[in-house]
Amino acid sequence: MIWQIDLSILSLVVLCAFATIMVKDLLSAAIIFGAYSFLMCLLWTEMGAVDVAFTEASVGAGVSTILFIAAAYQTTRIVKARRRGRLASKIIGLGAAVIMGLVLLAAEANFPGFADPNSPASLHVSPYYITQTLADTAVPNMVTSVLADYRGFDTMFETAVIFTAGLAVIAILRRVKRSDLCELPEPYTISAGYEDTIIRFVSRQLVPFMQLFALYVVAHGHHSPGGGFQGGVILGASFILLAITYDMQFVQQRMSEKWNILLGNIGVLIYAGIGFLCLLLGANFLDYSILSKILPATDKIMARSHGMLGIEIGVAIAVMAIVITIYLNLSSHGKLDKGL
Amino acid sequence: MNIVIICLVVSGLFFFFATTVGLLRFPDFYSRMHAAGKGDTLSSLLMLGGLALYEFHEINIATILVGAKILLIVVFIFMASPTATHAITDAGFESGVKPWQKEKTEEQG
Repeated sequence: MIWQIDLSILSLVVLCAFATIMVKDLLSAAIIFGAYSFLMCLLWTEMGAVDVAFTEASVGAGVSTILFIAAAYQTTRIVKARRRGRLASKIIGLGAAVIMGLVLLAAEANFPGFADPNSPASLHVSPYYITQTLADTAVPNMVTSVLADYRGFDTMFETAVIFTAGLAVIAILRRVKRSDLCELPEPYTISAGYEDTIIRFVSRQLVPFMQLFALYVVAHGHHSPGGGFQGGVILGASFILLAITYDMQFVQQRMSEKWNILLGNIGVLIYAGIGFLCLLLGANFLDYSILSKILPATDKIMARSHGMLGIEIGVAIAVMAIVITIYLNLSSHGKLDKGL
Repeated sequence: MNIVIICLVVSGLFFFFATTVGLLRFPDFYSRMHAAGKGDTLSSLLMLGGLALYEFHEINIATILVGAKILLIVVFIFMASPTATHAITDAGFESGVKPWQKEKTEEQG
């Protein structure tokens, strides 16, 4: 914590937030929002929350920016100023924001200081995680063990939430029959018939490295920042890169819609299935230590480590498939023919 | 060793500064992209190279791994950054952004 750096990053964050609201062009707003996410990522790195920073960099700055741009591309790019009720809504909005801010400021006085060892959060379970993680689970990165083992239920339902988001996007946007198609304005043309040898060549060379790095992030999440969510998002982003530089068919030949939905299901199934396997073997749901009965040459501690690896793989598969599905549906308005 | 590292990082900072000045001061889209693409790539090479050298202060397996990762980042920036600049410039050209010409200002003056 160096307060000068914190202060400069925080003021830039506030500037970016204002710029995102003020800009009338939605594409610019999405890009500024990406910059905002990168600044938040820097802030979190500076506070020592490297796993959160990694998630923010891959999800917040990377994929969600692309999803915003795809949505803006399919709808409209310029915000029209509303004439009627403008002043009243502004006053109401300002009042709500000011009251909310005052409430937060009042509550802030009672907050413990940053990294205060006597704060309630640091007294209750944190000391246990910090001292016992390595002995309990043989995983040096305690964020991973808290996420995937001690609080496995939470993460399982997070994966289910992402899966549900994918289902919702398919249910709302995907149009199979011609009669389902509604009238839409023509998408804003960024450039017509875009084909570029340099861009295609470089992204073709980069994609294998991206996917290798994603697998490293998934598998190495026990020892370094990273894990299923980040790795899955990077895997999905590599396919999105191909979908942007080539076209949608190129990706669909490799990852068809059917496979995406199937993989999304399989990912959640792996997670819940490992939990259910523990139940079958006679322990609690998601209590991986019982897996030592069926895994060869593992004691109870290593079984917890391996169980975590299994569910991280499930999370990565689910997140990858859902990210690809959401992008393909958003950028082609559910027709899956051509996108950005 | 330290002198080399300081030289690398400071020259990287200088080129970053030059990039920023170029982005703000150049007259049109293409020359700005030129400044951003060239300056950014070179300065990240210099700065990250300096940081990688700093890691090699004491040679053991951990520092070599970290240094090699930093150098790998440099390689990927060298591939990705010019391509991104090319993509943006090309998109600008396709959507008909006119390059800046000196004659226009002479006519005005």
